Amino acid sequence: MSPTIDADFCIVGAGAGGAVVAAELAEGGASVVVLEQGPRHDPDGFTARPPEMLARLYRDAGQTTTIGSPPILLPLGRGIGGTTLVNSGTCFRTPPRVLERWSSEYGLELDEAAMDACFERVERSLSVGEVTPELAGANAAVARRGAERLGWSHGYLRRNARGCVGSGVCVFGCPTSAKQHTGITYMPRAERAGARILTGADVRELIRERSRVRGVLARMDDGSRLEVRASEVVLACGAIHTPLLLARNRIGDASGQLGRNLSLHPATAAFALMDEQVNMARGVPQSFYVDEFAGEGVMLETVAGPPAYAAMSLPLRGEQHSRAMACYPRLAQLGLMVSDSSRGRVLTLGGRPVIRYSLDDVDLARIRKGLQRIDELFRAAGAREVYLPLPPGVAPSAARARDLRLMAFHPLGTARADARPAHGVADGELAVHGVRGLRIADGSVVPSALGVNPQLTIMALATRLAFHMLGRPVPHEPSAQAPDAEIATAPTTA
Amino acid sequence: MSDGLDSFLAAAPWPQRPGLRLLLALARRPRGAMLLARAPLAAEAAGATLALGRYDDPAVAASLGWDAEAVVARGRQLRRAEGRP
Repeated sequence: MSPTIDADFCIVGAGAGGAVVAAELAEGGASVVVLEQGPRHDPDGFTARPPEMLARLYRDAGQTTTIGSPPILLPLGRGIGGTTLVNSGTCFRTPPRVLERWSSEYGLELDEAAMDACFERVERSLSVGEVTPELAGANAAVARRGAERLGWSHGYLRRNARGCVGSGVCVFGCPTSAKQHTGITYMPRAERAGARILTGADVRELIRERSRVRGVLARMDDGSRLEVRASEVVLACGAIHTPLLLARNRIGDASGQLGRNLSLHPATAAFALMDEQVNMARGVPQSFYVDEFAGEGVMLETVAGPPAYAAMSLPLRGEQHSRAMACYPRLAQLGLMVSDSSRGRVLTLGGRPVIRYSLDDVDLARIRKGLQRIDELFRAAGAREVYLPLPPGVAPSAARARDLRLMAFHPLGTARADARPAHGVADGELAVHGVRGLRIADGSVVPSALGVNPQLTIMALATRLAFHMLGRPVPHEPSAQAPDAEIATAPTTA
Repeated sequence: MSDGLDSFLAAAPWPQRPGLRLLLALARRPRGAMLLARAPLAAEAAGATLALGRYDDPAVAASLGWDAEAVVARGRQLRRAEGRP
């Protein structure tokens, strides 16, 4: 017989969505149990060394890959904080045009006014503020110079950071705990309000009594089993694993949409050799954006990292690679991501996800255009050489899908919300159609690509959900602008 | 192989784990490298993984101006001084 815990609410997953729901519900007076499959990461164990941190902080060492043309690397965080622990901290509100689309196409009543209070509450909790030029560093200065010379719309990104000193390793575990990921913001709040957090809990089964979910069964790291009985269960395992858990339990697929509609924001990045010292890892890696082409589905954002990271992503081989890496201090990097119209699907094979996704012609054209724009921007900024992520001799305009080296960081849509049960997995209040007592609070309910980094959208939706479950309005409180701290020079040996 | 790269490979999912190990073994041998040259995607994966390990070496990284230990030490000091989690 499994040990049993009773609670008002059971939250499965402690990332962007789960942590927010857990904290808001617990602070609202509910008894909450959070089950997280991964561990609690101790920042004292962060080494700022990419291979080791990839192995420790990411699911499958960051090597989750889609199947299709082209294959796309899809790194996902694992543990308390989820992907918020290993993302770059960029915070965009959901663009109004996207909210309008959700209302007209999916029947979701999520207009700007309805979401404002949620965004404000999340931004205050995460100390969201704009990166200063000093903190952004020389890599952002290169991008800014190029954008200004071309007259392209641009700006410094807003991030969830407090006391950031530009360590340059946001995606490998922030050594200063400056990045306000949910593992150090919402989860401590949940715990202080009495929530019980259990790590190493692999939830396999949703306990059903007729058409109502009454709890979950989890297999713990030590091999034991745990049953949590709750009035409501909230799934927040992310857009790859939530549909698998639902499918395993034969729940949520009356519409035939479960696991489908996967959007990813396919992304890639190019390097440039500058005359000036860039030292890309000194400063905030993702700090500056160019949104001149956002209306066409292409967003440019700076990316950067230490030598091991750069060496892994530099699109050169052999002697050329070595020569470029010898100039690492003068390398700049800029990434692009597209608001994709391609759609993939998450399936399961032997209990593991199989992610199918192929780029459609529209997105291929967007990526070609994005690469051309990056090339233009770097050259306008004075680049001596530009290294595009394409095979030798292939121009962006002639690139085929199989020529591209893509990554993606924003899986969305695999249990999409749609007010109509025949078209979506969850309704406008994120309750799973056709069952009672089961809701979803992660990227899987986001019904379309956003064109911007999604963590704030997921957290705002989770906030809205939590207050809906508590039967209270979301308190309205204006956001505090929390500019990052002054940059201190990153310690180096050069 | 460095401990970091070894843990990176060990944590990779099947079938990448054995696949990457095989590619790395090939890439390290002249005849294997010649074989890999005929499969650009595989050669790229092997090259990227080897580069990840090579430039993670503290001495190599230091020669390029990056000192991971100093970054971590400063972070730890700031966390302690400011009572951050």
